[in-house]
Amino acid sequence: MMSADSHNRISRRRFLIRSGWLAVGATVVASCSSFRSLLPALPTFDDPELEDSLTWVQVLPTGGIRFFCPRMEMGQGASLGLSQVVAEELNVDQSEIECVLPNTQQTPPFKMTVSSESIADFFDPVSYGAARLREALRTVAAKKAGIRPGQIRDGRGGFVLPDGSALRYGALVPSEPLVISDPAVSEAEKNPPRYALQRQGAYKAIGHKWKHTELEKIVTGQTVFSQDVALPAMLHGQVIRPPSFGAILLDADGRVAQAMSGVVAVVVDKKSNFVGVVADNPFVLPGAIEAISAKWHVADDIDQNSLDEILDVEDLRARDDFEHKLASSGDIDIGRQRARHRVSARYDTPFLAHAAMEPRAAVASVGGNRVEIWCGSQDPFFVQRRVAEIVGRAEDEVVVYSHRMGGAFGGRIRCQASEEAAILSAAVDRPVRVSWDREAEFQNNYFQPVYSHFIDAGVTPTGAISHWDHDFVSSPILTGSVPKSISWAVDMFTADEGTARGGMPPYRVADRRVRYSDVRTEVPVGAWRGLGAAPNSFAIESVMDELAASAGIDPLEFRLQNLSPTQERLAGVLRRVAKLSGWGRVMPQGAGRGLACAVYKGETAVAIVVEIEVDRATGEVRATKVWCAQDCGLVVNPNQVEAQIAGNIVWGCGMALKEQITIAAGSVEERNFDGYEILRHHETPEINVALVAPPDTPPVGAGEAAIAPVAAAIANAVFDATGHRARRLPICGARVIP
Amino acid sequence: MDININGRIVTVPEKFRDVTLLEFIRSSVGLKGTKYGCGAGLCGACTVHIDGAAVRSCQTVAADAVGRRVTTIEGLSKVAPEAGLHPVQTAWIEEAVPQCGYCQPGQIMTAVALLAHDPNPSDDTIRNEMSGNLCRCGTYPRIHRAIVRAARERGNHDVRR
Repeated sequence: MMSADSHNRISRRRFLIRSGWLAVGATVVASCSSFRSLLPALPTFDDPELEDSLTWVQVLPTGGIRFFCPRMEMGQGASLGLSQVVAEELNVDQSEIECVLPNTQQTPPFKMTVSSESIADFFDPVSYGAARLREALRTVAAKKAGIRPGQIRDGRGGFVLPDGSALRYGALVPSEPLVISDPAVSEAEKNPPRYALQRQGAYKAIGHKWKHTELEKIVTGQTVFSQDVALPAMLHGQVIRPPSFGAILLDADGRVAQAMSGVVAVVVDKKSNFVGVVADNPFVLPGAIEAISAKWHVADDIDQNSLDEILDVEDLRARDDFEHKLASSGDIDIGRQRARHRVSARYDTPFLAHAAMEPRAAVASVGGNRVEIWCGSQDPFFVQRRVAEIVGRAEDEVVVYSHRMGGAFGGRIRCQASEEAAILSAAVDRPVRVSWDREAEFQNNYFQPVYSHFIDAGVTPTGAISHWDHDFVSSPILTGSVPKSISWAVDMFTADEGTARGGMPPYRVADRRVRYSDVRTEVPVGAWRGLGAAPNSFAIESVMDELAASAGIDPLEFRLQNLSPTQERLAGVLRRVAKLSGWGRVMPQGAGRGLACAVYKGETAVAIVVEIEVDRATGEVRATKVWCAQDCGLVVNPNQVEAQIAGNIVWGCGMALKEQITIAAGSVEERNFDGYEILRHHETPEINVALVAPPDTPPVGAGEAAIAPVAAAIANAVFDATGHRARRLPICGARVIP
Repeated sequence: MDININGRIVTVPEKFRDVTLLEFIRSSVGLKGTKYGCGAGLCGACTVHIDGAAVRSCQTVAADAVGRRVTTIEGLSKVAPEAGLHPVQTAWIEEAVPQCGYCQPGQIMTAVALLAHDPNPSDDTIRNEMSGNLCRCGTYPRIHRAIVRAARERGNHDVRR
């Protein structure tokens, strides 16, 4: 433990020296899980610490603020929202903040950007770091003016002295880095006033509809995504990836390719299952790849049927074989006897792809004393560790430059393109670019796992839920990326919380049992927008609709009267969405309405009403209108949160009606957007959003909350329109026709 | 073997005749605003204009653009009636359309071509004409609003004149 702590302290100090700290920094002792150093490189899990935040905000000699945003940007707008928090603390305007996606040398490691945590979990530390900086500068100002800090008032972009004269931040930045070491700081300084927490109702930046500074660059094509990175002496690489899950490279003959004009090298490494080619221009790559004959041992016995057999909830129920218990109270057999109406139903969802619009790409430059990577990743420090491991360098010799991602949705946590580029660059001693094509994206990334649910529940004569017996099986998501070498140990000791996310119903049931199994298959799975939230909510909220229908109770009333007493905020959004949508309105023939709700990560309450139309001839379902009420606490930027909600609804419609990955002969059948269809513009419903929050509630996750109830709301609307229960996603036209 | 790209004459070397216009624009000319999304004409991220019509540059070879006028997202402001941003780009910023932003150059190129042949499109026309441009972030509602805004503001502009 001693050595781990001292190592950590040194690395933070070294960081401060290396980065030429301008204004305020700190040396701190971090908590450290010493065992992690024994494992292969893993994603960055540690939650932010307040002290880390001291390195995120700088004042420049010009008086401007530079904010090294500890969150990666993929369109969710976290860098904008957190800039607003910085602005609130430092009393500056948007134009005075330069928000930077830091490279791995510019800040200490921060947690991967996942799980809708960027505002929820970083609001507080960002506020703290900016407030500490402000108060440290106030102390400098006081010394300079020969008065007490308490006599100095805040001004825009600086301070106001008792005589009314302004002192801008720029005038206070010392020529030498000022480093606060923790022991020297008084308790008062450690607890600065926090405007971002205290100014509610009088915010100058938070809650305002700031627009992202990147917008103009995006609409003029100037934004540099990882696909767009170009270095002067850069070569171009392409990799032949395994043709099936778990395929093993037997042999590869690159002699013909090697002799082609423009080809610099063919790299074959059987031990690493790697075949790649490097050329001096990208145009010869397809021909060169075709000229390489690679032989693989292919595992082609994995197909959708065999996977569905493994992930079959009814089979596990027959064997009473569930690994984990999320809830168990009362006695479901006794509860079952109280049921006047009973529902027993199976619900299934398929493998799903992220299908972000930007295929992944990276440029690597593996040089003599420095390794540089340009990429877009949800976890640049994981890229740093992985590349260091692969090219056999110390971590701090590797610098990762982060670019805005063209969508991520959980799909950019692994570091594939960066690793491939690094291997190729190391082989040819020149910078190499690798970019994936669309087929590689569908074939070689990881997926949302299949979910198979069975729920048995009932309604008592008084309209209460008699019992809730819910079993489900899927695959481990949060630990989906751990290497095979340690997955057995991980599976032995952990129940995957990501798989179980949203698995607990928010309703009052005395006699209940929720069990699940997280079974690893050959199909690579991992984080996908909301993790378990959407598939679990699909089952739970569909069954709630079935129960309400069986008892002849309005679905809204049924939910409100059965909500657990702790779910006041969920009740709030249910009532709000009912009002917004005019719930209870009679639908014309061929149309229907459905309702569903969820509490994302136990925090964000969201309720959805969907109106659909069914084509009587084809059974095709189209969502025409969606109303959403969401309570995610304090909203830092309503414009961004509404955009996230709309995005979740569009995504949820695609999930409900179109998306599906299928496996045949050991690989993915879908290769492009014709096989894997996502929602298109003309299929998008009209969307109405209401944001509600009780006063003084902190911000909670907004990036993937609203997806949770969408599929169930659509399935419930299909039932309303047709009498058909859609229990398997995607909802297929042919099965819907009454 | 010359293409007029954004007003600049670019010669297509013999060896690049058969590469896609997308790859030629990005890798040879070095204009990175036009994006690769699917390589199969399914997503619209690579949309450019050839003689004013929206075209999938991943489905066109460089030789086919020879002797013609190609406009990419970088050249859009040059064909705008006023200096600076094209009104559609301005509308995109006003409505804060982009999330990740990757598909937006293609969306904008399709929208500009749509408004050029139908200055006042109906909602249904917008839905249908934009259906070939995918956006995984789900910015379609704001894309729709931005097109309506651009059409309306151009109408106002014409009235003022």
